[in-house]
Amino acid sequence: MTRLTFRALLLASTLSCAAFGAQAETLRVAMGYDPVSLDPIATSDNGSIWTQLLIFDTLVRPDASGEKLEPGLAESWTVSDDGLTISFALRDAKFSDGTPVTAEDVKFSIERAASKESSWGRFYRPITSFDIPDPHHIVMHLAQPFTPAFNNLALFAAAILPKAQVEAKGAAFFDAPVGSGPFVLRQWTRGASIELTKNPYYWQKGKPAVDEAVLEVVTEPSARVIKLEAGEVDVALDPPLNQLKELKAKPGITTGEVIPYRADFVQLNTRYAPLGNEKVRQALNYAIDKSALIKGVLYGEGKPAASAMPVMAYADPDLKPYPYDPAKAKALLAEAGYPDGFEAEMLVNSGIATQRNTAIALQAMLAQVGVKLKIQMLENGTQWSTTKAGNYQMSLSYATSDTIDPDQIIGFVAVNPERANAYHTEWKNERLNELYAQERQTVNGPERGAMFREMIQILHDGAPFIYLYHPATAWAEKDYVKGFSVLPTSNFRLEDVTIQK
Amino acid sequence: MLVLKNLLRSRAGAVGVAMLALMLAGAALVPVLSPWDGYALDFGAAMQPPSLSHWFGTDNFGRDILTRVLTGALFDLRIAVICVFGPMAFGTLVGLVAGYFGGRVDAALMRLTDVVWAFPFYVLVLAIVGVLGPSEANLYIAFFVVNWIGYARIVRGETILIARLEYIEATRVLRFGTFRVLLRHILPNAVTPALVYAMSDVVLTVQAVAALSFFGLGVQPPAPEWGILIVESIDYMREAPWMTLFPGLAIVWIGIAFSLMGEGLSTALKPKG
Repeated sequence: MTRLTFRALLLASTLSCAAFGAQAETLRVAMGYDPVSLDPIATSDNGSIWTQLLIFDTLVRPDASGEKLEPGLAESWTVSDDGLTISFALRDAKFSDGTPVTAEDVKFSIERAASKESSWGRFYRPITSFDIPDPHHIVMHLAQPFTPAFNNLALFAAAILPKAQVEAKGAAFFDAPVGSGPFVLRQWTRGASIELTKNPYYWQKGKPAVDEAVLEVVTEPSARVIKLEAGEVDVALDPPLNQLKELKAKPGITTGEVIPYRADFVQLNTRYAPLGNEKVRQALNYAIDKSALIKGVLYGEGKPAASAMPVMAYADPDLKPYPYDPAKAKALLAEAGYPDGFEAEMLVNSGIATQRNTAIALQAMLAQVGVKLKIQMLENGTQWSTTKAGNYQMSLSYATSDTIDPDQIIGFVAVNPERANAYHTEWKNERLNELYAQERQTVNGPERGAMFREMIQILHDGAPFIYLYHPATAWAEKDYVKGFSVLPTSNFRLEDVTIQK
Repeated sequence: MLVLKNLLRSRAGAVGVAMLALMLAGAALVPVLSPWDGYALDFGAAMQPPSLSHWFGTDNFGRDILTRVLTGALFDLRIAVICVFGPMAFGTLVGLVAGYFGGRVDAALMRLTDVVWAFPFYVLVLAIVGVLGPSEANLYIAFFVVNWIGYARIVRGETILIARLEYIEATRVLRFGTFRVLLRHILPNAVTPALVYAMSDVVLTVQAVAALSFFGLGVQPPAPEWGILIVESIDYMREAPWMTLFPGLAIVWIGIAFSLMGEGLSTALKPKG
């Protein structure tokens, strides 16, 4: 290097530093989850999904209302009347290293999502072939009708990755991923923070408004709030619900909340003797005072649940939750041959205060009808693997939908055999399975809606879960943060967020 | 009995015993005296500050905190006593044998204590409870595995010292059996410092049990164990500080009681003259 260029470089770097210092705006968000991996086909935990959605794009994505899909990397699309052909026109987008996003990248990414290594393979395998007329157009073909196919392309698992780089780097690609989303990963310190900088090539011109975003991993909810008040972060996700009112009253802090596509419930292992009996399961549902739970545990921030399905597309507004009726619960238990109740063990995630509190309330409520609940607090991962292996009686849990079509989540919580065998309850209903197969081949419309409503009614009556509530998701932010919100799909976008100090 | 009399004669010991007795009396009488059920939910009465009807206030479920803290004493003291005096009995035996026989027996037993000693206390307890799963019984196992070594070392040292004293030499001349010498002549003298150590160990153990419950590895809810009471109160600390304060004070109270008893014991057991 000659002396002159060295000097020029030095000067340039000094100048850019000065510019940086004057303008660089950083948005700091405290979140409760530590991402597991940034490989979209390998994960299903919220921390990973939310982070991926800031770095990668999908062809289409749910809009802010959660009711429709809006353009992502695809500018426009057409779905043929028989549902067997989906054509996309790609926009002029670039990955964060400046290479263009092409139809080859799309094909590669969807095939990867459908591969054996993918946890989400079944979502994409119905797409059997691709035509690429030019780098900006791709046509996907299905051998059989599969209505959720289009919607599944809006899932994080269908994130569009740069083919050449993933092939060259393999698994190492996801340690320093390159995507076409609004942000680029600068540094990931596991258990502590994810540092992002804005993607200079992002296709939404002028966005993101902030230069940098830091996701700080703070698992204790109260600690997130304290950090917000101390000015160490600008946004705190999931503050303790009991502190919301107090936070709202604080100067300089605003709060927001949505009820996302989420349902909380107790999984009942139907292989365990008393819980194999439908009357027992219904009795447990009648024994729970849901309005007391919402008042006492959620501090009013939620709605009672009628089934394990979130209230989303094709939901039946007339389906009523099980009323609180301990006398009926006792009568049903007696009919089922358990007049004196029974004992059961319930697994609870020790890391979430709301879950702990709900468990203690459920224990007291079920004791009223003679059911003795033993609480077993477990770490999140252990609870997950124990229920998956079927080694449990009851487990306090929940499900969230990552898409706006109910196919994903009903397949998860109600269908057996499927990915999770009715979310590990091993409950089975042939009529429901039949409807699930039909729904997937029926075009969107009232007919498909009726199928969903019948499935949810069957799920409600069969009660493989104790249905609890749809809790609100809250966040608190400094009042100079504008444009932040949590989406119905539980994730958040940062490209529209501005800091107005 | 003589020991207790001497203990009560020292001021520190008397105060310590009185504090413990007060806590135990409260725990024993709470089901009779308290008008409140420590387990029943009443969301309407949630998070009330201390008042005449709820001296320590109520928690987020509307449960009376005084009732829960006193009931919790039974859990914490039971666990602490089992986790201290169980390992103490075993460790004392090991220390006696090692100190008296010396040689290879001593070397083998002491290397074993070195192995356990090499691990930090909490690391080992967390590892054991982590492998066996959280429950009160597994808590006992973990503390047994870890806690006996302190006593073994103390009693071994004392035994080596005592075994050389003239009155033990005299037992050789009198041809007393080994067991008789160990249990009747060495043990009562060697155990004194172990007993004093046990008092401070109770304090540490109460804290450790509370800490393990804090991590979800100890006793399971709704048991009003003090560590659980504190972990349940974290999110309410600013709105309802009494939820955290009173269980915390209970731990401090027991800590002071046993520390004072330890001090009293060491005075009471000191050889006269």
